[in-house]
Amino acid sequence: MIFRSGSIGQVALGALIISGISGIVVAYQYEAAIPFVSSVAIEAVLPFGAFWRALHFWSSQAFVILLGLHVWRRIGDLPRISQSPGKRRHWAVVGTTIPFAIFALFSGYVLRHDATGMAAGSIAEHLMLDVPFIGNGLDCLLISTGSEGVNRIYVVHFLMTVLCWMLGTWYHTKKVILRGGLFLLVLATSLLFSYIVHAPMDLPGQAVHLIKGPWFFLGVQELLRHLTPLVAGVLFPSIPVFLLISLPWFRPARRPLLLLGLWFMVYIPLTLVGWLR
Amino acid sequence: MNRRQFFKGAGIWGVALGLSYPLLKFVVAKRYRPPRKVHIRDTLETGQFLVEPEFVLFDTLKGPLAISRTCTHLGCRINYQEDEKIFLCPCHQSRFSWDGRYISGPAKRNLARFNVKTLADKKGYLVLL
Ligand code: HEM
Ligand code: FES
Repeated sequence: MIFRSGSIGQVALGALIISGISGIVVAYQYEAAIPFVSSVAIEAVLPFGAFWRALHFWSSQAFVILLGLHVWRRIGDLPRISQSPGKRRHWAVVGTTIPFAIFALFSGYVLRHDATGMAAGSIAEHLMLDVPFIGNGLDCLLISTGSEGVNRIYVVHFLMTVLCWMLGTWYHTKKVILRGGLFLLVLATSLLFSYIVHAPMDLPGQAVHLIKGPWFFLGVQELLRHLTPLVAGVLFPSIPVFLLISLPWFRPARRPLLLLGLWFMVYIPLTLVGWLR
Repeated sequence: MNRRQFFKGAGIWGVALGLSYPLLKFVVAKRYRPPRKVHIRDTLETGQFLVEPEFVLFDTLKGPLAISRTCTHLGCRINYQEDEKIFLCPCHQSRFSWDGRYISGPAKRNLARFNVKTLADKKGYLVLL
């Protein structure tokens, strides 16, 4: 039996995954600067565009409805849930997926930016601005179609999906585990480092005569000065990838590991040569 | 709550609060955008009009008039009804006269007007949004 009691939650997650994947597919051709024009192109011009759009649209509707159904079915568990503070908190946190899911769905219509979508966007923006004190902040966070077009709501569309996904799997089913303390350590280190060191950027007019690629690319860049593009840029860099992937098929793995080491013994000096130019 | 738990909780909240300020500041800021100029390469006779996405342009005896198509209720894009010479909002049916004055409906305020200049050679208009 594929369907068991309690599997509506799983079906909802399935719909979310399909919605997310089809959303990413649609996004390849979607252009936030010309939302309506690109949506029409997806629907009417691009090959399989209508299919991908429909898949995204309907799986999204299904996700929200299934999520609602799933929560509805769990209402019977409430007597048990309300007994323990931990379970109550769990319920409250997981319950936020409902508004997030609805906002994801809603922002989708705004992204389409036909007459309905455009009106929905500006009405939502104006309503939000009427919220006392935090209205302006909320609008900047969530909508801002008036001044920013669909840019922000596009980001939020994605953000809501991620929130639903993370809450529904990581938090809800506890399938992915990361120790809090370890995470805090990584976070603290990243924060400290990034507070001190700026991420690099070429100024206009800088690096005119010699452009050095990113550090991991310097070796390839050096090789490209001497060998054909296919050898230097494609074949040579794929060697370690194939070696690494095929390691489990070698028994013992000593020989491919040796080759891998050899490859690095070539690549690191190449990198140095490129770097010192 | 023992000391360890206290420091752990304080650490988590400290990081969360400390990060939310730069996050909110960054996200809420809006980049300055210079006013946009729309060139209309068309001349209108008195009484004629031209529908653009963001405004409707009229030329009158007193000069050109660009009426915003953004509804003063909740911002929907308004359509101009040529036969009745009114603006009618598709969202909640507010009505405005051809020159943007409020007539009825939930909007309550007149439509905005944009600055228009007639180009020197009379070959069109420049609207500042
Ligand atoms: C990785 C996640 C997602 C991405 C990258 C994404 C991307 C997009 C894009 C680019 C559009 C505009 C396409 C168009 O107008 O033709 C869109 C529309 C839409 N999205 Fe998503 N989306 C995602 C997740 C979701 C989720 C989770 C929902 C629902 C809960 C959703 C609901 C919608 C709806 C209803 C539309 C309007 C579809 C239409 O009528 O064209 N999306 N999405
Ligand atoms: S937005 Fe125009 S009447 Fe409501």
